[in-house]
Formats: sequence, C-alpha cells, structure tokens
Amino acid sequence: MGNFRKAINHANISRFRLYLQAASFVLLIYGGYLAINIGDQLPTFGCIFSDLRGGSCYLYGFQHQMGSPWSSYLSGRGIGMLVGLLTFIGFFIVFNKAWCGFICPLGTIQDWLTGLRRKFGIRYSNYSEPVFQRLSKIKYILLALLILIPMAIGNSFFGLPKLDHDFGIPFCMICPGRTVFPLFSGDFSQLALDMSSITKMVFTTLGLLITGLFLAGSFIKKRFFCLFCPMSAFHYIFAKAALLRLSKDGSKCTRCGNCYRACDVGIRAIADDLDHKNIVKDDCMMCFKCVEMCPEEGCLEVKFLGLPIYESTEEGFFKRMQRLNNAK
Amino acid sequence: MQSDVDKRFTRMQKATGLHLAMEAEETLQRLKEFPDNPEPMAYFYDLFHNLYKNGHTLPTDKKIIGTMCLQVPDELIYAAGAVPMRMCSGAYAYDQVGAEFMPAKSCPVVKATTGMLHVNQTLWGESVASVVVPTTCDQKKKCAEMLKDMGYPVYILEMPSAKDSDAARFYWQESVKKFALDLQQITGTKITSAKLQAVITDMAESSRLFRKLNDLRKAKTPLIFGKDIFLVTSAYFIDDLTSWQQAVRKLIEDLEERHKNDIAISNRQAPRLLLTGSPPIFPNLKVPILVEQAGGIIVADEVCSSNRLLYDTVAYDETNLNDMVPALADRYLKPCTCPCLTPNTDRNRKLEEMIKSHEVEGVVYQAFSGCLPYEMEQKQISNTLDEVGVPMLYLETDYSNEDLGQLSTRIEAFIESIKARRRKK
Ligand code: SF4
Ligand code: SF4
Ligand code: SF4
Repeated sequence: MGNFRKAINHANISRFRLYLQAASFVLLIYGGYLAINIGDQLPTFGCIFSDLRGGSCYLYGFQHQMGSPWSSYLSGRGIGMLVGLLTFIGFFIVFNKAWCGFICPLGTIQDWLTGLRRKFGIRYSNYSEPVFQRLSKIKYILLALLILIPMAIGNSFFGLPKLDHDFGIPFCMICPGRTVFPLFSGDFSQLALDMSSITKMVFTTLGLLITGLFLAGSFIKKRFFCLFCPMSAFHYIFAKAALLRLSKDGSKCTRCGNCYRACDVGIRAIADDLDHKNIVKDDCMMCFKCVEMCPEEGCLEVKFLGLPIYESTEEGFFKRMQRLNNAK
Repeated sequence: MQSDVDKRFTRMQKATGLHLAMEAEETLQRLKEFPDNPEPMAYFYDLFHNLYKNGHTLPTDKKIIGTMCLQVPDELIYAAGAVPMRMCSGAYAYDQVGAEFMPAKSCPVVKATTGMLHVNQTLWGESVASVVVPTTCDQKKKCAEMLKDMGYPVYILEMPSAKDSDAARFYWQESVKKFALDLQQITGTKITSAKLQAVITDMAESSRLFRKLNDLRKAKTPLIFGKDIFLVTSAYFIDDLTSWQQAVRKLIEDLEERHKNDIAISNRQAPRLLLTGSPPIFPNLKVPILVEQAGGIIVADEVCSSNRLLYDTVAYDETNLNDMVPALADRYLKPCTCPCLTPNTDRNRKLEEMIKSHEVEGVVYQAFSGCLPYEMEQKQISNTLDEVGVPMLYLETDYSNEDLGQLSTRIEAFIESIKARRRKK
C-alpha cells in the first residue's frame, strides 16, 4: 500500500466531513452574497425561500411541475421537466447519498444539534429495530404525496374535483428547511402563520409543528429528521447507479457491530448484512463513520467509479481510537 | 488444634502445590526444548515459573476480581479500581482436586477452576473481592453455585444464549450496566467516564498488539510457534497489563526482525495448522506441543484463551458512560463465537476467513471430554471445512497425560496426510 493511500486510510474522515459540511452550509445558505448559484435542481436542501441561497432543492421545482395538466407533459413543458429531472439525477449520481452526509444543510444543522447535546453530556435515544423499520417507510409515503397532491391540482383523479393551488408545494409547506434556513439571513417571515386560506393556515401550522419536532428530535436522536426525508427516498431510486459507493466484503466481517454503533442513522444492515456488496441502504447518508470504526482490513470500502478511495484498516482503526482518547 | 478434616485439607493443599509446580515446570521444560525460541519469550517462561514455584501465588496485592470467562468486561473492573484475573485453569493438579467433589464427566476447565478456588480458599480468601461468573455454559452456572456454597462472593453476570436479536442485545447491555453499578459497590470506587475511556484505550493496545502477532503469523516464513502464542495469551489472564504489553512489544520486535531477515522458526515446509475448540490454557498446552513436535506449526487459532480473548475491539462514539458502557457490552457479545450461543455460524465464517488469511492447510479441533458444546459443534465445523476442502483432526482429550501416546500417533498421521495431499497437488 502506498504511503499516500495509507495516510488517507488513517485519516479522520469525520473531521474532514465537519469542515466540508460547514463550507457547504455557507455556500448553500449565503452563496447568493457572492452571486454564486449552483442551480435549482440540487439533490439536497438549499431553500428557495432563503434569499441569499447559493442553490436550491429540486423538490420545489419538481412539485411545481407535477401540478401541470397531464396533456402538457408531452409539450415543451415536458421537456423542461425532463431536463430538470436529468439535472437532478446528474448531480446526484456523482456523489450518491454523500449529499446527505457532507452537503445537506438540514443534515448539518442536525449534526450541530447533536454536537451541542454531546457538549452537555446528555444521553441520546435510539429506536429499536422494528420501530426503525416502520418509521423508515414514512419517507416513501411523503414522496408519493408530494407527487400526487400537486398532480391533483392540474388533473382530476377519478372524477374528483381538482385541488386548489394552495396545495401547490405541499412538502415545502411542512419542510423545516423553509422555516429554518431564512433565519440564517435574518428573515423570520416564514415563522408566521398564513391566514389567507384554511389550507394555508393548516399547512403553515403543521410546518411550525414539524420545525419544533425537527429541532427537539434531532437534539436527542442523531439525524432524527433524515429517517423521514422524502429527498432521501427520491435519492434511493437512483442510488444503485451512482458513481460513489460504499461496499462491503461480507467474508471479512466479524459482525462485531462497531459500524452499527457508530452509525448516526442506526442502520443495522451495515453490520449484519453479509451478502450485499453494495451496502448503501436507503437511510444511509454516506458519512463513512462506519468505515472509520471497522477494524477489519478492507471490509468496508468507499469507491468512486470502482476505484477504492478509502477503506477500513486495522491500523487506521487503532489510530483513530487513540486520537479520540487524546482529544479529551 | 487442627481437626482431622483440616489436617487432610492442609495436606491436600501442600500436595496440590507440589504437583502444580511439577506440572508447570514440566510444561515449561517442554516449551523450552524447542530450538531457537525467541529470546523475549523468556519473560513468559519466568512469569509462570515464579507464579507456581512456591504454591500458587496471586500475581498482585491489589484487590482482585476473578472472572470465569472472557465474557466479563475487564475494562469495568479496572475502571472500578480493581484488577481482573481470569480464573479458568488449565492445571491437571487442580482438575484432580475438583474431581473429588464434582461429577467425573464434567469438563476439565470447570473442574480445575473450581478445584483451584477450593484448595486455595484459605490462602486467597481475602484478596478475591468477587468471582464473576457469566451465565454461559451450564457447567459454569452450576459451578457458580458451588463456589457460593464455599463462601466465595460470587457475582452472576447474566448473559443471553443468543446474540442476533435486539432483545438479546439489550438484555446483555442492561446486565453489563448493572454490573458496572454493582462493581462500584464491591470495590467502593466510582467508575468515571474519564477512567473508563483511559482503560478502554489501554486495553485496545492489548488488542492491537495481539493483532500484530496475528498478522505476523500470516507470513509465509513461520516466525513463531503456536505453543508460545498460547503461553503469551495465558499470561494475559493474570499478568499486569503494562508489563504484558511491554513483553509482547519486545516479542513483536524480535519477530519483525526475524521476518526481515527471513529466519524461520520451524521447517519452512511445516504444514500450517489452525487450532480451534476447547481452550488450551497453561499448563495444559499438551495438544499444541504435540502438534508442533510432530512437525506442524499452528499459525492461527480460534479459542477463547487466545484469539477470542484479545482480537475484538471496543468502539464507542461518545465519551460518556451512556455510550461507552453499552459499547463495551457490544464488544463482548456481538463478535463472540462461543458455542454457548445459538446460532453460532459466525464461528464457521471466522474459521473460513482465517484459513484464507493464514493459508491454513489443516484444522486441529480440540474438545475436552465433558465440554459438550464444543463436542457437539464439531459436526457443524467439519461440514464447513469439508466444503472448503480443508481436513480436520478431531481430538477428544483432557488434562491428564494418559492419552499422550495415542494423541501423538493420531497427530503424526494427520500431519503426514497433509504432506501427502501437498504432493498430490
Ligand atoms: S436525508 Fe437528511 S441529509 Fe439527506 S436530504 Fe434529507 S434532510 Fe438532508
Ligand atoms: S465494523 Fe466491520 S467487521 Fe464489524 S460488523 Fe461492521 S463491517 Fe463487520
Ligand atoms: S451506514 Fe455508514 S455511511 Fe451510512 S449513514 Fe451509517 S455510518 Fe454513515
């Protein structure tokens, strides 16, 4: 193994992640200051409601487009939709779910809250496996709803009356990103209840409730919100084709569970699944903490286009644990 | 005035001490007879020599918490200010003592350990603050009750007999948590997160060193005999952590030097073997010695007195007791491949992986007569080995020297058959 490879494998990815998350946060929340905008089809939460954003989440535009009548799908609009979707996929395919672990500002805020809790020495809570499995399905329901509800605006389902335009961006209305991100540029307007219609009132109330849950939840449970995130569900549709991968060699795994302990999301399969090579599960945020914590040579491996870039090593494991101890 | 019973006991105590010293000396002699023993092994030879030369002395003056299985989280004991000492004994002299009051069919490890605690009670009594018995195999559970009757402060550490379900995992985590709390009562010292973190780090160094040895045993050029490795790991049961680590570091340096200069410890063509099954514990290193005298070399093992004791690592995420204690619990349950657990397929997978990594050509399966879990799991293991095409020698044995002749004939035949297989390839 070359010295360079060795140095990388001994590295503290979590530290690097912290820095990259902070940088991405600044870029996505304040990029507008510097006239940076990386697009509106991002597979992560940069929010359209935040004036200074440096890019925004695809879900907003996507919900909008879903609201068009079906007949228009075949016209010029359809092409626009396709381009949007392809841009989203293009962004996503490169980094896979590492968008969640390294870039998503909503994820970053959750990690910061976790950091705060740790500082106070407050214990965290966790789900048991069956509860985890059940909750984990909610994000797919949210994804289906954020497609179906806007569709029912432009189209009639089963002869039912079409929905009002107030239902246009249902997920955005309840997304904590809409309420929280603008705060960072001093804009508190999203915290207000919109009384202009009953629908809007309900949505904005729900939005506030969910924001509260988001803050409290992620304080005591690591990555609380991610388990329900429809963006994560959307990601998973394309994850199998992504260029960045996390792979596992089951024959080298002792099922020691170190990786599972380290996993903020609580993915049990990372320790117990011995059969799948491509081990990125739908809730995974590709933070690679598991790789850091695995003491088996080459058992867990991060690859880009099939080329290994970071893998678990015995020496790396002991170095990192030593560092953890020295840091106290 | 000593009563007759007391007199008899004192006599037995003396006789056992003498037998033990002889037994230890004999084993050490046989270990040393091998040519070209690495020089740093002298530390371990001396350690055992001194331990047994005048009766069985305790290795430390500190408060000792005896453990009856590797399942007990030693980290907690250190953090609570006491010294863990693994009590599992490999001495035939103690086995004989145990045989006087235990069923003849019980396993020699349990017999010897109970015998040891019985015969030394008057000598050690005060220093042993507690004997911790995890509820692993049935014989240990019953032995715990006997020890309690003898008057030992026994601590039952409840352990599940499966490890896959959440329920089992949480049950064990709770047991370990309770153990941590109770330990503080026993020793009167509080376990703090800072202490525990330091101990975890310190013990991780032991794993790191063991893994280094394990890696060196992968080398094509055989660098160290298995019989020596078992002595090193038997020493870990009782030795001071820092001294042990220093001695192992020296040993590693020596082996690395040999590796660099390509100096083989044995015949380069020696069949590479793996030992699994019931644990070889000093002075009962009969099987490893016979195997290596017959021209084989044990390059890997899967036993609870060596690999399983030292290989696994604790990984915690947050530096508070809320995370570190469950992390410790996981370390002692999740990777465990003890046949007391069901299912125990991880043991098969572990063997397969070691066969690959250490280029193993044959497996020696040692089962102590009376140790049913190992005897019964033999089938499961031999099926897997059949699949990967590695021959296995199944040896049922005990702590006595009566079967030496018969064992060595079978071992020699096995080693010859491996050599013959090679020629055919
Ligand atoms: S799963 Fe979490 S990190 Fe990923 S997009 Fe959703 S909120 Fe962001
Ligand atoms: S840390 Fe590595 S060896 Fe342990 S369970 Fe996870 S993948 Fe397997
Ligand atoms: S499975 Fe690994 S990479 Fe995925 S979220 Fe868990 S720790 Fe991070």
